[in-house]
Amino acid sequence: MAGFAELNLLALADRKALRAVLEAAARLGYSTVAINHVIDFKEKKQEIPKPISPSELLPSLPIIPGKLKPIKIVTRLTLVVSDPSHCNVLRATSSNIRLYDIIAVFPKTEKLFHVACTNLDVDLICISVTEKLPFYFRRPPVNMAIDRGIYFEVLYTPAIKDSTMRRYTISNALSLVQICKGKNVIISSAAERPLELRGPYDVANLGLLFGLSESDAKAAVSTNCRAILLHGETRKTACGVVYTMKKPQPVEEEEETLPACKRAKTQV
Amino acid sequence: MSAPLRRLRETPRHLLVCERSHVRHERSRHAARVRGHAYNCRVSFLIPECGVLPEPLKSVTTDMGEYYLVKNLPLHELVAQEFISAFVKTGSCYALSYNTRIDQDNTAALLPTDCHSPLKHIGKLILSVDKDTYEELGLQGRPSRYSGKKIMRYIITIDLTDSAFHSDSKKYKRVLWALRDKKPLEFDFLLSWHHTGADGSTLMSYFSKHQIQAHQPKITFSTLRNLQCPVLCSNELQGKPEESCSAQELFEWLGAVFSNVELDNKSFSFVSTYCCPEPSTMMDQAYLCTITGFILPEKIIQLLDQLCAYFDDPKLAQWVTLTVHGFADSPVSWRENEHGFQKGGENLYNFVVFRSLDYWLQMAVGANDDCPP
Repeated sequence: MAGFAELNLLALADRKALRAVLEAAARLGYSTVAINHVIDFKEKKQEIPKPISPSELLPSLPIIPGKLKPIKIVTRLTLVVSDPSHCNVLRATSSNIRLYDIIAVFPKTEKLFHVACTNLDVDLICISVTEKLPFYFRRPPVNMAIDRGIYFEVLYTPAIKDSTMRRYTISNALSLVQICKGKNVIISSAAERPLELRGPYDVANLGLLFGLSESDAKAAVSTNCRAILLHGETRKTACGVVYTMKKPQPVEEEEETLPACKRAKTQV
Repeated sequence: MSAPLRRLRETPRHLLVCERSHVRHERSRHAARVRGHAYNCRVSFLIPECGVLPEPLKSVTTDMGEYYLVKNLPLHELVAQEFISAFVKTGSCYALSYNTRIDQDNTAALLPTDCHSPLKHIGKLILSVDKDTYEELGLQGRPSRYSGKKIMRYIITIDLTDSAFHSDSKKYKRVLWALRDKKPLEFDFLLSWHHTGADGSTLMSYFSKHQIQAHQPKITFSTLRNLQCPVLCSNELQGKPEESCSAQELFEWLGAVFSNVELDNKSFSFVSTYCCPEPSTMMDQAYLCTITGFILPEKIIQLLDQLCAYFDDPKLAQWVTLTVHGFADSPVSWRENEHGFQKGGENLYNFVVFRSLDYWLQMAVGANDDCPP
């Protein structure tokens, strides 16, 4: 089984608060966390910002108690889409999107959900938990998403904050799990404060309430998150088989001394 | 909608095996069961109607042997021929990786027992690795049984005392290459060595280059007052209504006693509503001793013999219990049965020895475990 991962920690403007949340996650036993930048296209046209690099955020990463390795931090982008034109940014090649490790989309209408499941190049589809579902899930797009390796995300922090949202969370999650039969689901928090985080085994128990089986619930916090990270990595490669890396150019010191034909050729 | 609700009503899978026999019976397997459970982290015994521990028992509890903690030991050191000839072949060498979680990280363990010939000293190195490490390591193993449809965990077993495992064999070279050059793995290990015979080099001197520390097991004694105890009849494992309690009820009661749970179901107590099973008697005092550390099965057998010898003199107690907990993160439970951690990694056994030297043995495991023998 993979280590536990928490794939949704909101990227707060306040660095200190974010650092506190990261330390709380490390203390609870998560080995990987993802810092989530949320972009909502309903507001005026927004630029995709560059992701926070973990090294500038924390000089030394917090060490998970009991292990010697520090926590691993990845970056994630969530696009809240309510109009088909918002999805064009995913196809743009020269924006900052390529710098993010995981890309998630939050569809607000049924058409966009269908497009996200079948066409869009994303890793995660977020399920709304704070309101009644605006559309019903249907089996064909959900099955297509499962075949493409896309996962569905259920948040649990709104359920901690408010009892009405608790009802919506459970009912939405139950309808999702009924349709997708427990496969390809992850549970994460959208924590802004350390108190809103819960330990991985507790989150796995919460998965039981959402209708997942015991092994599916534990996989929702560990194995499925690992699969999402690998899926995100393959986006930078050619079909997940070949990847290119820029090799640093050797410093050309002897350019003047040797004639051109005798200059050492850069190795393949 | 009914399927998830039905699932919520079920408890996670757990197994409890109860058997009974007599200590002096020639086919009694109590010693084999104790020896089969290699990694023990806590031993507790409860003696009813006892205020002061008798001297022989006290001396056995204080002499539980020491164990060593080695930090950052590369795994290939345990496969080195000098280690095998000095420790594995001359005694029972136990090693378990420390601070590794069985459901998240790689775990390593060294088992000294062979199920078929308990007197022969052998050594088996068991590695429980995740998928990435298995694919990088290059040693042959089998997928874990509790891994689900997508195999995420593999178990690699290397027999160190195999006749084909000497310095020149291809097998040895391959194992050494994998563990030293291909994917060097390092763990903190808990080590212990049981040997009869002259002291050669000890573990302390062998691993002096690494940070090795000797530890003694922690022992706590306590006397419980006014304890409600179930009445047991040694012939009735299932218990007779109105006469004696069943083995499962005793198991639960013992767990409540060890967790310091109030047994009288007071109306204002919100922690537990557990009651002592009926029929029960009230005891003035009971002696509870707990030993925590890396405890060897050989020492537990000595403790069990002393507990049986407790009944040589007439005593008030009808029975005594000895409970042994295994490590939650060990890769094996009994012999080479696989052990996993789903929501809890319990693997424990409990002896109830009666005055007539009949005994009950209960073995319990949690969700991702094979059935105990």
